[in-house]
Amino acid sequence: MIGEVVMRQDIAVNDFLTIFVSSALVLVFGGFYVGIYTAVKVNLLKKWAMPIAYLFWMLTAYCLYLMGSLMHVGEFTAKALVVAAIGLLLLPHAVYFMQHQVHEENEH
Amino acid sequence: MASNHLTGIGSESKQLATWYFTFAAILFGAQLLFGLVAAIQYVMPGFLFEILDFSVARMIHINALVVWMVFAMFGAVYWLLPDETGIETIGIKVGKLLYWVFVAAIVVVVLVYIFVQVGPADETSIWFIHEGREYIEAPRWADFGIVVVALGFVANLFMTGMKGKRSGIVTVLMADMIAFAGLYLTGMFFTDNITVDQYWWWWVIHLWVEATWEVYVGALAAYGLITMIGAHRKVVEMWLWIEVAMLFGSGILGMGHHYFWIGTPEYWWEIGALFSALEPLPLVAMFIHVLYDWGKTQGAQDATGQKLSVINNKPAFTWFVLNAFGNFLGAGIWGFFHTLPQVNLYTHGTQFTSAHGHLAFFGAYATILIGMMYIAVQGVNGIKVMKSTRSSVWATWMIAGGVMGMTVALTIAGYVQVLVSRAQMGATWAGYFDGQSGLWFAQAMDWRLIMGVVTFTGFLFLAKDLLSIGKSPIHER
Amino acid sequence: MANKVSVWTDNRFWQRSAAWVTGFAAVLLIWLTFDTSAQISMGTDADLQNGVTKRVPGPTVINYKITYEMSAKRGHEVPIIGGNDGSGMSLFQEKEKFFGRDDYSEEEAGALLHLGKLGSQTKNCMNCHTLLGNGAYYAPDLTKSWLDPAWQDGGTMQAMTGKSTKEEAMAEFLQHPSTYPTHARMMPDLGITAEEAKGLVAFLKHMSSIDTNGFPRNFGKIQGAVNGK
Repeated sequence: MIGEVVMRQDIAVNDFLTIFVSSALVLVFGGFYVGIYTAVKVNLLKKWAMPIAYLFWMLTAYCLYLMGSLMHVGEFTAKALVVAAIGLLLLPHAVYFMQHQVHEENEH
Repeated sequence: MASNHLTGIGSESKQLATWYFTFAAILFGAQLLFGLVAAIQYVMPGFLFEILDFSVARMIHINALVVWMVFAMFGAVYWLLPDETGIETIGIKVGKLLYWVFVAAIVVVVLVYIFVQVGPADETSIWFIHEGREYIEAPRWADFGIVVVALGFVANLFMTGMKGKRSGIVTVLMADMIAFAGLYLTGMFFTDNITVDQYWWWWVIHLWVEATWEVYVGALAAYGLITMIGAHRKVVEMWLWIEVAMLFGSGILGMGHHYFWIGTPEYWWEIGALFSALEPLPLVAMFIHVLYDWGKTQGAQDATGQKLSVINNKPAFTWFVLNAFGNFLGAGIWGFFHTLPQVNLYTHGTQFTSAHGHLAFFGAYATILIGMMYIAVQGVNGIKVMKSTRSSVWATWMIAGGVMGMTVALTIAGYVQVLVSRAQMGATWAGYFDGQSGLWFAQAMDWRLIMGVVTFTGFLFLAKDLLSIGKSPIHER
Repeated sequence: MANKVSVWTDNRFWQRSAAWVTGFAAVLLIWLTFDTSAQISMGTDADLQNGVTKRVPGPTVINYKITYEMSAKRGHEVPIIGGNDGSGMSLFQEKEKFFGRDDYSEEEAGALLHLGKLGSQTKNCMNCHTLLGNGAYYAPDLTKSWLDPAWQDGGTMQAMTGKSTKEEAMAEFLQHPSTYPTHARMMPDLGITAEEAKGLVAFLKHMSSIDTNGFPRNFGKIQGAVNGK
């Protein structure tokens, strides 16, 4: 598998802008997702904002998909991108879970 | 809240730290100045031609960058050691001696860079002029000097860490700094095989800036959160360990993204793609961690009914927050969008790399080290709550805005290069110059220069502020 | 909840995890380094004679004709040494004169490459140019510069120096760069001697034979092709 036809296709000249913008937006939207999630959890935002956080995660996932398909990534890289997207989805949950537990232990 | 940093007076370790910070700030100025020379040369190619060529200006620009950061990093460790371990740094006399050795060596190296510039193609030039390898150009004699100084520093750190209280932060620093010093050795040999040369060259460059330096920043941020907003040590240190796991877990093998095109086997595509995709995650985590801790501590304070900020050093905390943000933006976003091999094939070696380099070095390292300098000013002057002066605010906005402006300009230039020189013209000599003469490229370079001047002006405010803020009457003492 | 210490909030657990993760990543990197080192070690003259394809060929590759052609199997361009066998593999047969000779011994070619590599560092090439894509972005990439159409017969750079072969044209340019202005941005005179220039050209020719996984992409496409058509 390794080393076979990973680079066969050229990227179309008109696709470059979309690729760069979507890959920058991956982390921008990802940042919004994480930021809103954290803000809701520390009560800076009301509970109703939570679905917006998940909406941003979906946008992140879409941008990853768009970027990956325009770049013609191979099967392996596509899997790596899916892992990264899921990692991002879980990250703030894990952070909050652990922060919460430590604070519980130390402050009560 | 936390006031254990108010022991600036009477500690030799902290005195040495201020020496390190002072020389770091001077080199920071030199870095910006030679950066301006190089930026002018993009706009006016005849500027200082065959007097101080681009290659020389750029060599000093990037070497001053690396060295001022190393100086500030050493300084920051000497600053926090007495606080963390509860004792005076052991072997501080030797530490002070090595400081002067280091400074003298740097001055000699820079003078040779400026006045000798190039030598004949032989080993003598490599030993006494420069090695001509980007970022680690220092001549071989200086390599050995650097190793001796770094070993002395690591020895100070280890002896103090073993004898005093060994906090989580100190433990991380001890492990990290030994790796940091040891990795330099992998960049100290000559080989005719350029692929092997660049393979090991990346061990120094990548494993410094994308692994050991990032972990160092994590430790520094932990220290800053404890001293500046009184964050809970156990929480912060637990986070530090998680960050170490995430940073080293993704960063060490993230090395793969430098091994796509230098002659190394194709399996590095997959390794590089996988770990590069993971590399932004710890940066996101560090970002939330800072905001979370700030929100939590401030929330606890607000709950007591008093409207009081938990931050006892406004300018330093501003730079620490900029660090969390800049690390995510520069290393995260600007790193991610050209890291996958499919697109890196076109962006590798264009101004994209330069845009990423500017924002990442600034966002991830310059910010937090400037923040440490403010912490030192606070400590030295025995200030309880330090506030921002007008100069602090101007310095922050002009430097951050200037670097951001340069980054955007370089990104546009890189985009032109990718489209014209790479995707359409296949990276030849003619293709290269076609890309360089494009209107968008030329204008981007004009803007880069303008934003460079803004950054430098910001630096002047910063220097003025660091020298004078300690005496300002606005602080609570 | 407050009394029971969870493993997730135990510093020692995270400290150990950090150590294990770091150790595992480091061991993997070291293992990969052994594998890669074996693959990127420089080949020998015997390899070239026996038709063994190396990622980094031996210095005597300067005796051969080098081209950069699309390999259908690998999906990108690869360096072809001494002619293409039709399936994107090198034949190691077709020679090409380098400064009038195509019979450099391993020692002679090695000495030239050594001089050239030293020169590439002492003259600070990397702080204007990129080599294998790494360096500064003030001047063109040198990875495949040996194959650049501008230096070939009929190319603009070769014509400007008035020389009849590309190696002589490149060497001439390297010795007197600022007398051959090609762009407002010029290369400065770096005091390169005739011997050093020869070494540097050998270094560039050798670098063009390194298998860079298809970087740069579509090199020389605008002029039709580099491979002499």
